[in-house]
Amino acid sequence: MRMNAAARILEQYAALQPHAPAADAAAQQLAALGLPDSRDEQWRYANLRALDGIADFRPGRGGQPNAAPAARALPEPLPDHLRLVLVDGRFDAALSCPPAALSAAGVGLARSTNPGPAGATSGPLQLLTRMFAAETLTLVCSADARLELCCIATAGNAAGYPTLDVQLAPDATLQLVERHLGGAQRASLPGQLVCASTRLTLAANATLRHYRLQEYGAGVLWLDNQDARLARDARLILCQIGVGAATARHTAHIALAGERAELHWQAMAVANGRQVNDTWVRVDPLARGTVTQQRFRGIAADQARVACSAELKVGGAGAGARVQQNLRGLIDGRGAEVDLRPRLEIRTDDIQASHGATTGQLDETLLFYLLSRGLDPATARTLLKWAFLGDVLGEITVPALRRVAEQAAAGQLADVLASGAMS
Amino acid sequence: MSLLEISDLHASVAGQPVLRGITLAVEAGEVHAIMGPNGSGKSTLAHVLAGRPGYEVTAGQVRFDGQPLLSLAPEERARAGLFLGFQYPVEIPGVNNAYLLRAALNAQRRQRGLPEIDAFDFLKLVKQRMQTMQIDESFLSRGVNEGFSGGEKKRNEILQMLVLEPKLALLDETDSGLDIDALKVVARGVNTLRSPERAIVLVTHYQRLLDHIVPDRVHVLARGRILRSGDRELALELERRGYDWILEQAAA
Repeated sequence: MRMNAAARILEQYAALQPHAPAADAAAQQLAALGLPDSRDEQWRYANLRALDGIADFRPGRGGQPNAAPAARALPEPLPDHLRLVLVDGRFDAALSCPPAALSAAGVGLARSTNPGPAGATSGPLQLLTRMFAAETLTLVCSADARLELCCIATAGNAAGYPTLDVQLAPDATLQLVERHLGGAQRASLPGQLVCASTRLTLAANATLRHYRLQEYGAGVLWLDNQDARLARDARLILCQIGVGAATARHTAHIALAGERAELHWQAMAVANGRQVNDTWVRVDPLARGTVTQQRFRGIAADQARVACSAELKVGGAGAGARVQQNLRGLIDGRGAEVDLRPRLEIRTDDIQASHGATTGQLDETLLFYLLSRGLDPATARTLLKWAFLGDVLGEITVPALRRVAEQAAAGQLADVLASGAMS
Repeated sequence: MSLLEISDLHASVAGQPVLRGITLAVEAGEVHAIMGPNGSGKSTLAHVLAGRPGYEVTAGQVRFDGQPLLSLAPEERARAGLFLGFQYPVEIPGVNNAYLLRAALNAQRRQRGLPEIDAFDFLKLVKQRMQTMQIDESFLSRGVNEGFSGGEKKRNEILQMLVLEPKLALLDETDSGLDIDALKVVARGVNTLRSPERAIVLVTHYQRLLDHIVPDRVHVLARGRILRSGDRELALELERRGYDWILEQAAA
């Protein structure tokens, strides 16, 4: 009989040497608590049963001497961005820009073998990271910089634990493009685990424009944790595009800790076949006058599952908050499901809040309009799905990245769409 | 052989009979106007001919350019040369006008066995037509009808028609919501399409459109049937007398 995932994780961990004290502590915690099941967690689709399909929890050898070269998996560099590369969670200096270029751009880089401190979402996945992650990459930005961070998963079954700690000094501005790609391309078992952790800390008046594009292969299980804390007048503009992986589970916990801190959160998920894309984001306005705007667009085709749970809890300390949540889902298949849950918990009278969630199918009137112009039904449907995603894709202000994101989305929607449809 | 031949057409919407026996022939080169009171079935006729789902043909036949029309899917009707100008053109943010125009044009060209239009030739064609319709070039990169005024949407419908050059254009209340200047622009666009090979069917409430697009035939459609047909004089008489006298004569 096959062991359950927690037992296999512990067995494989025990075989690794040496062990850091923090990693041992995490292993003991996992042994005591086990992995949560669907009764312990609120995930609509992406419960941790998917870990049963993972054979190897040990990190891959990418980025190490004698490892398979990852350069061919790298995409074209983005213009005007300094590139950093993580391979299977390890920093690859040979594929990254020279340290001097980073310094000149006002960015400090540090590598730490001690996986970063757990954020507010500490849970089973943080335990995994602390047990297996080879290192934490810390970026400290004190000026105005543009970075492209490529997280490459090499092919095979070995896992990856990209772990990132991003700190913005007061008044700093950073444009960070984070791309996740590579990994097992076939949706067959056993799958490949990529467990990513990101911590963002924005000091007063700092601005982070953070794009995240997840294009892993169809054999990848992507478990992603993101924690952010914003000081006064800080702005986080986060745009997340998810089109890859067999199962993608994204957790975000964002604390608006300083007065007038702003979060502009956009996310898009396109899933087909049997893909699962599940997002859970929680925002805590903890100071006066904060702004939260959240927009989610999800399309589930075939038998795919897409979910987004957006929680926001505001008490007296968060008085004067302005909140907008807008979640929309599109079901394009008889076996497809979309589940959207906007949740506002308000314990103050001083707030402007609106939220809405709609899920439906393609608008038949729009479809007929396109058919009446001679477009074939497949093209017409693809165009309408494309249009549905437009307001998230339109938020990408880096032209080269927008083209990449559009191509990724188009590839996921259908092959019939030529470039140039977007307005 | 007429370009469009409608024989005893009956159709229902949501189970309710709307068209109760329409018979009409439109020759190539002609402009027909279909007028009638609200709820008479004018728009239903246009949408039935374009193949809109939910509009169920319960009896009758339609031939277009010598071929049975009703068995064709909406996109096949469009590629065969039938164009429906919508009364309420829809907005499709995120899909730009240039893409839609080119995709639609190429769909028709493929149907005719022609290669896809070259990008340069396409732009040249569209800009020429846009000039006719007094539409700014910036419109090409905007979403289809996104944020357009009512008049701009109607002009865009006619622009699409001019680019696609259909054999038969069904224009459903293209004049509604237009001021007099916009009406003249739209009428100029429609008149540009007039030729011995093409036909136009205008669905309208108002005679004023017919001051600018002079019809060869005028039909009064009421209670799901064509109750009277005539020439341009009939439209002028309707303007003076309304529809009651025709309804009374039909009831007698």
